[in-house]
Amino acid sequence: MHKWGMVIDLDKCSGCQACMAACHAENNIAIIGPEESAKGRTIHWIELLPFIEGEYPHIKARLLPRPCMHCEHPPCIKVCPVGATYANEEGLVGIVYSRCIGCRYCTTACPYTVRSFNWYEPQWPKEMKGSLNRDVSVREKGVVEKCSFCHHRLLKARERAKAEKRELLSEDYIPACVQACPSNAMYFGDLNDPFSTVSILSRERRAFKLLEDLGTEPKVIYLSEGM
Amino acid sequence: MKFNRRDFLKMGGGAGAALALGGGFWKWSQFPAAEKPNAPGVDKWVPTVCGQCTGGCGILVRIINGWAVNIAGNPLHPVNRGTLCPKGIAGLQGLYDPDRIRSPLKRVGKRGEGRFQPITWEEALTLVAEPLKDLREKGEAHHLVVMGGRYRGLMRSLWDRFLNAFGSPNYIDNQFQWEGPPVEGLFLTQGIRDFPALDFENARYILSFGSGLLESPWSPVQMLRGYGHFRRGRPGIRGRLVQIESRLSFTAIKADEWVPVQPGTEGILALGLAHMIIKEGLYNKEFVSEHCFGFENWTDPGGREHPGFKEFVLADYEPGVVSRRTGVPIDLLLRLAREFSSSQPSLAIGYRDRPFHQMAVAALNGLMGNIDTSGGVLIPRSIPYQSLPPFREDAIAQRGNSQKRIDEGKGMSVSYPYLMARNTLSGKPYKPKVLFLYYTNPLFSNPDPGLFSNAFLEIPLIVSFSPYMDDSTQFSDLILPDHTPLERWQDDPVFLNNGFPVLGIRQPVLHPLYRTKATGDFLLALAGSLGGEIQKAFPWNDFKEVMSYSLKGVFEARRGDTFGLQFDEAWTRLLQRGGWSVPSYNNFEEFWKFLLEKGGWWDPVYDFGERDRIFRTPSRKFEFYSQGWKKVQSPSSGELKETSFLPRWEEPKKEGDEKAYPFHLHIFKTMALTGGRNANQPWLQAIAGQHLFEKWGTWVEINPETAKRMSISDGDWVWVESPRGKIRVKARRYKGTMPDVVNIPFGQGHNSGGRWSKGLGENPYRLLGDDLDPMTGYPVHGATRVKIYKT
Repeated sequence: MHKWGMVIDLDKCSGCQACMAACHAENNIAIIGPEESAKGRTIHWIELLPFIEGEYPHIKARLLPRPCMHCEHPPCIKVCPVGATYANEEGLVGIVYSRCIGCRYCTTACPYTVRSFNWYEPQWPKEMKGSLNRDVSVREKGVVEKCSFCHHRLLKARERAKAEKRELLSEDYIPACVQACPSNAMYFGDLNDPFSTVSILSRERRAFKLLEDLGTEPKVIYLSEGM
Repeated sequence: MKFNRRDFLKMGGGAGAALALGGGFWKWSQFPAAEKPNAPGVDKWVPTVCGQCTGGCGILVRIINGWAVNIAGNPLHPVNRGTLCPKGIAGLQGLYDPDRIRSPLKRVGKRGEGRFQPITWEEALTLVAEPLKDLREKGEAHHLVVMGGRYRGLMRSLWDRFLNAFGSPNYIDNQFQWEGPPVEGLFLTQGIRDFPALDFENARYILSFGSGLLESPWSPVQMLRGYGHFRRGRPGIRGRLVQIESRLSFTAIKADEWVPVQPGTEGILALGLAHMIIKEGLYNKEFVSEHCFGFENWTDPGGREHPGFKEFVLADYEPGVVSRRTGVPIDLLLRLAREFSSSQPSLAIGYRDRPFHQMAVAALNGLMGNIDTSGGVLIPRSIPYQSLPPFREDAIAQRGNSQKRIDEGKGMSVSYPYLMARNTLSGKPYKPKVLFLYYTNPLFSNPDPGLFSNAFLEIPLIVSFSPYMDDSTQFSDLILPDHTPLERWQDDPVFLNNGFPVLGIRQPVLHPLYRTKATGDFLLALAGSLGGEIQKAFPWNDFKEVMSYSLKGVFEARRGDTFGLQFDEAWTRLLQRGGWSVPSYNNFEEFWKFLLEKGGWWDPVYDFGERDRIFRTPSRKFEFYSQGWKKVQSPSSGELKETSFLPRWEEPKKEGDEKAYPFHLHIFKTMALTGGRNANQPWLQAIAGQHLFEKWGTWVEINPETAKRMSISDGDWVWVESPRGKIRVKARRYKGTMPDVVNIPFGQGHNSGGRWSKGLGENPYRLLGDDLDPMTGYPVHGATRVKIYKT
């Protein structure tokens, strides 16, 4: 069984936000215009978070791309009253949109604040509609959404492997953000395979996870900056 | 949904019928709506070249049922190797921007009012050709001016050829002047008027003097790929980056060390470091004595003594002086100088500051001998195009071509758009009668855009080729929309950071969505309708033929190969070093086929030590004393002293007095909206200012202490006022701001455009004056002071 995980090397990350744009294109994320954005209603499945501490000129600044952590013990699942959000046997945390009742308990429970709510029916001008990604469903008003590690790509890779009558290799599957990353700061693969790049990197001295003390056991591992 | 060429033609007919548009021409629509937006289909990935910025990345566009549905990097393209930046991905929104110009338009209202009427391409051709014929008949061919922006390749050759055949010397290059690498510094020291390749992935230490390395480089993906390699791509080596800049930019955040200095003082810091390096004897003595000119004092053939760089810098840029001016402590200066000289190869990278400040930064690379070395400044070879066949200029053309240029350009730059605007207003030497705007938007992206709109009022006919409504296009009389990059043929010659020349091929990934036309094709049609020698100079049917003609040179060069995997690269290089060329193709048809399948051609070899290519200065050396500048300078360049040819620092003359306008204004660029071209793409608008979670607007960054003193809260609306004008923007307290500097991003504040760009935010260039640098003819960078008050 695979256990999919991501490693983000902050020393290589340049803060360019290609991951954010790639995610928007891949996952049909709604365009939130200026007015709604001002109310804080933007949706990003992966977001570059700034941490700027200290006072001028003695500043410690850090930029951190934050997708869903796909925790081993996800707090969001426990609070969902309708079982709309779940973790599958490979450790991916997903949402069944048609079950979601929009109570937003999960958005509050998630310590990483990765979940967003659709306040409106997503709108695209008709000139753009045909350019939506056919592999991903369009959400409707009143449901919560978040990063899926581009799960549709896994389904596709699995189908392809099946058609080619072979085992699924972990190289067959890579999320859009990892594919786009220009400085190659993001890695993706099987954490269960001790020889995979992500496994090896996750054991590196620089490796850390966000809010580790909560015991959520994130499957997104960061590598700190510096030597 | 099936969608064929016939449907497009029908749509075109509909456009002709939709008359009297009044203002919102985009409100009418004949685009067939997607009946089932998510219908399944068979996909294919078509390689082409991204056109979102000047980077030249290879992309694969995913096409399903005639719709482009996604963009990914082309793994074979050496510029980006399968990766992309946010702009590249948003190319999809550039293509499907619902407010694109859908057919040729003729102005019906007053100029700038924005009322247009759709016309056919035949009408458009007549409306351009008639006035041009008229110009030639009156012997005023030189009154045609073409203003071009940032693009590459054969389109430029085509414009030059057209102007030559027509009889006008007036191609005005308006590539935005503060973007890109510091080319003036390169010209002063190495005599080259082009971009250098900065091999920074192989450097160990980078001193960046205010360069937007990680947010607004000329080829973002290449730089960022290089950055990843620079940091952790080499086992045991981690490159160190020091950013010297007034603002805590993304580059400064990612740097190991941020050294804040006032905007415009980066140059004196470079000279201070040069002083330390020379004084401590840390420079590369072998390189300096063998390959440099003007380091020591020297005597010219006439027996006159000239000061050398060494004596000048040791005398004038003592650490105490530099420290006082920049606020950088002396011990930090000393440490930076020692680190820079001991961590080899090291690289100093500047921005397009004033030429002699750029030269000061270039001099640091010269001192360490990091010119034409791995991890240093490289000069790429050009693409071996076959040059277009010779043609005859008729008598009218010869007369026109011998006229003075409208900008009377001579000196360091090739074109002087500001002088063109001023001369248009003054009518000396003459006023242009017809202006073509290709890939440029001076009414938005040049400091002091008001100068250009005043000048444009004097020109009777302005033709814009922009596919989108923008500030300058709105001011035009005729709009002949080009295809967007994903719909057209184009060549894209570019080079890698390690100096390898690359030729990307842009091909249409789908049928054009609207009644647009490639400007290259239009130009050929125009030449045809002008007839005579002009027609004979353009024997091609479309731009694609021009491309295949020129690419024969690349095919016959017996160098390089079409794109391949890293293994193929190593193999090609190995063979080529041994004097062999075994490309993957045998004939031109095969070459062309592979070009389209793989995305382009490249030559993965850099020839070190070809000194004629590297140093094109009069001394054929790296010049600390610029003899090249001495040759081209003109009386308008100001009073010249001996030291005028040495790297030096001049206090920038500030517009606005210190009491009334207490803040330096620093205008910066973001990754998302670098040059303001991409503001019509919501994905980019949504990530414009991620460090403050700002989007869809313009903000001003103020130091929190300063803001507190002025009782400005985070999020208050304030006026930022310079002697030139004022803009209303949102105040943001940002810790990475110097107390006496305020920062405003460029890219918003379009007066015209579609639903996602028009009327959002403000354009800070409206605050700038047109105090021109006498050497370059461009406004002086960072010379404006402002005041701030609550609205």
